[in-house]
Amino acid sequence: MFELLINYGPKLLDGAVMTLQLTFISVSIAGLLSLPLAILRRSKNILWQWPIRLYVSFFRGTPLLAQLFLVYYGSGQFRPELTELGLWWFFRDPYYCALLTFALNSTAYQLEILRGGLQAVPYGEVEAGVALGMPRRLLYQKIILPHTYRIAFPALGNEIILMLKGGAIASVITLLDVMGHTRRVFSQTFDISVYLWAALIYLVITTVFVLVWRLLERRLTRHMFYQRDIKRITPVEATSTKMEASNVN
Amino acid sequence: MSTKSISEAALYAEDLHKSFGGIEVLKGVSLTAQKHDVISIIGSSGSGKSTFLRCMNLLEFPDAGKIRVHGEKLDLSQNSRGGRSKHVQQQIERIRSCLGMVFQSFNLWSHMSVLENVMLGPCSVLKRNRDEVEVQARALLDRVGMLEKCHMYPDNLSGGQKQRVAIARALAMDPDVMLFDEPTSALDPELVNEVLLVIRELAEEGRTMIMVTHEMRFARDVSSQVVYLHQGRIEEQGSPEQLFNNPRSEHLQRFLSSQY
Amino acid sequence: MEWFEYLSFGDSGWGDELASGLGITLSLALVSLPIGLALGFAVAAASVSERPVPRIIAFFFTTTIRGLPELLTLFIIYHGVGLLISKTLKWFNPEAGFFELSPFVAGAVALGLVFGGYSGEVLRGAWQALDKGQQEAAQAIGMNRLQIFRLIEFPQMLRLALPGLGNLWINLLKDTALVSVIALSDLMRIASVAVGATKKPFLFFLTVCLIYWVICIFFEWCIAKMEKRANRGIRAS
Repeated sequence: MFELLINYGPKLLDGAVMTLQLTFISVSIAGLLSLPLAILRRSKNILWQWPIRLYVSFFRGTPLLAQLFLVYYGSGQFRPELTELGLWWFFRDPYYCALLTFALNSTAYQLEILRGGLQAVPYGEVEAGVALGMPRRLLYQKIILPHTYRIAFPALGNEIILMLKGGAIASVITLLDVMGHTRRVFSQTFDISVYLWAALIYLVITTVFVLVWRLLERRLTRHMFYQRDIKRITPVEATSTKMEASNVN
Repeated sequence: MSTKSISEAALYAEDLHKSFGGIEVLKGVSLTAQKHDVISIIGSSGSGKSTFLRCMNLLEFPDAGKIRVHGEKLDLSQNSRGGRSKHVQQQIERIRSCLGMVFQSFNLWSHMSVLENVMLGPCSVLKRNRDEVEVQARALLDRVGMLEKCHMYPDNLSGGQKQRVAIARALAMDPDVMLFDEPTSALDPELVNEVLLVIRELAEEGRTMIMVTHEMRFARDVSSQVVYLHQGRIEEQGSPEQLFNNPRSEHLQRFLSSQY
Repeated sequence: MEWFEYLSFGDSGWGDELASGLGITLSLALVSLPIGLALGFAVAAASVSERPVPRIIAFFFTTTIRGLPELLTLFIIYHGVGLLISKTLKWFNPEAGFFELSPFVAGAVALGLVFGGYSGEVLRGAWQALDKGQQEAAQAIGMNRLQIFRLIEFPQMLRLALPGLGNLWINLLKDTALVSVIALSDLMRIASVAVGATKKPFLFFLTVCLIYWVICIFFEWCIAKMEKRANRGIRAS
């Protein structure tokens, strides 16, 4: 088991770099695209709303693998046209195709998360800003967006993990991420332990990410913790009120 | 008290103790409810009155003490982990089915209609015939003035209505003793009366009842006996006239003066 | 040949092949669901247990399953369990040949494990969100443990867990596409075969996407209906 690690460990680590790269780039692109789209999605204009709705529904309602095949293999059907447009270099490369697909997919999910966040912004606070005469830009910058991202933060973290894991299918179109290297090593050695090492790598990455994300969340929601500390109750009082609460229930 | 009256008592509790996390909430409380007694338990919050009531149908397990229902002694043995033998558990379930409980927060089952709430106990615990139970349930709902709402769900009712349904639900088990745990404390002031009216009727028809309440005037009117609990002990106990007109203990005097 | 001819039923078109692939896809999802649900209930029960050992096992199971790519889980089951059984068989009978787990079974087990890991969390959340007062009211009229679970807790848990379980079901449907990688002739695999024969990748993969899309929209609609039914009487808060 450890012999395998000595022989193939560096390859698996190369794969981890590839996995992280794919995830980070596609999730970042999606992060940039999703906010304006989420705001447009909330507009009452049907011309904006419906195309975005359709886009979200499609990317959330179909398997990522099918989307990847559609982009990577599907583009082959239009090779002459794409060559003419000077885009063929992009679509012939599995790496770019994976990035494009993952970014489009993640945009759909992040957009939906942000839409929920925008919806949950307490309206009274926005109104208070309006009453102060804040212009729209400032309202978004100072009130709406900070709220939105605070609300959406945990869900966005989940989405990034899903992307990280979902990204493993890039190995199917020959990319050598963790999964890609793992499959290759297995086909050479038929040693099952390579899967366990791969599992370990994924678990380490996700665990570290979860911890980092939680730390960030703690920072973002500082104001909520602070409030709790202000209410100082003497220990005796605290236990007796707790007692009564458990009695009445 | 003679042994005869203990064995005939509808509900008898002796020297109940209960602690939560090292804090002793009940420090030895005893009570005897004879048939047709209406006993009110009063006291400030934190005095242990709710805990005492909940101990009597074993929603809280007393650490020490004795409980008898109709002379039948409850087996309060349990192992160190709080587990009970099957035999003990079955006795508890049987005893509970003849003690009706009405909660402060109603605790109606939110996924069932009003009628289903009332019918569930007799059907599932007493295994009675559904059609019979339905007739009885409708009659009970009619009595508490909730018949026309019998197909509604609890979430669409007001607090007073919920509590009246909860009372009907408890009555459907045809209990020997009704326990009320601050039945009006969670209600808006204007809804308190509709519930008290129902409880008063039950008292007048001779039901055995024990209730924890903050409604002093009501307690005085309907009770045959009032118990004042202070810091986990019974400080004073007697007829309503005695307690409300001539309170002897200093705590009770202070408590009563803070109530009006 | 026109697009619709490629998709027609009969000898020249791929419509009937795709339909049989869809059948396999759906039956795989339907077989995985009960496995996953049963596992989910077990995990939820273990994670609210008073004893530490089941809690720890449940915790490791859910974090592992939720931390691994579904594709990796699938490979571990397909190759790993296959190898394990082979070795056991060899131990008993050295003459035994190489045992290969059927892709369908491997897929159902892997997807069931994934569903179990996630639904365990959903069900635990539902359990913890139950109104303890309503359980007490059931106790107070003398119901036994089993009756309380069957009549009060279980229906309410389902209501609370339904949106989460609905989502997981949609995910499960989409994850079935992964089994095409281990050569199960599901919808995705058939499409790849068709692409090899016809050189029309866009057409076939778009068709696959549209079929999945329709299925997902259909089930989303069903779940919304079920939620509405389950929530009758519950005021939206």
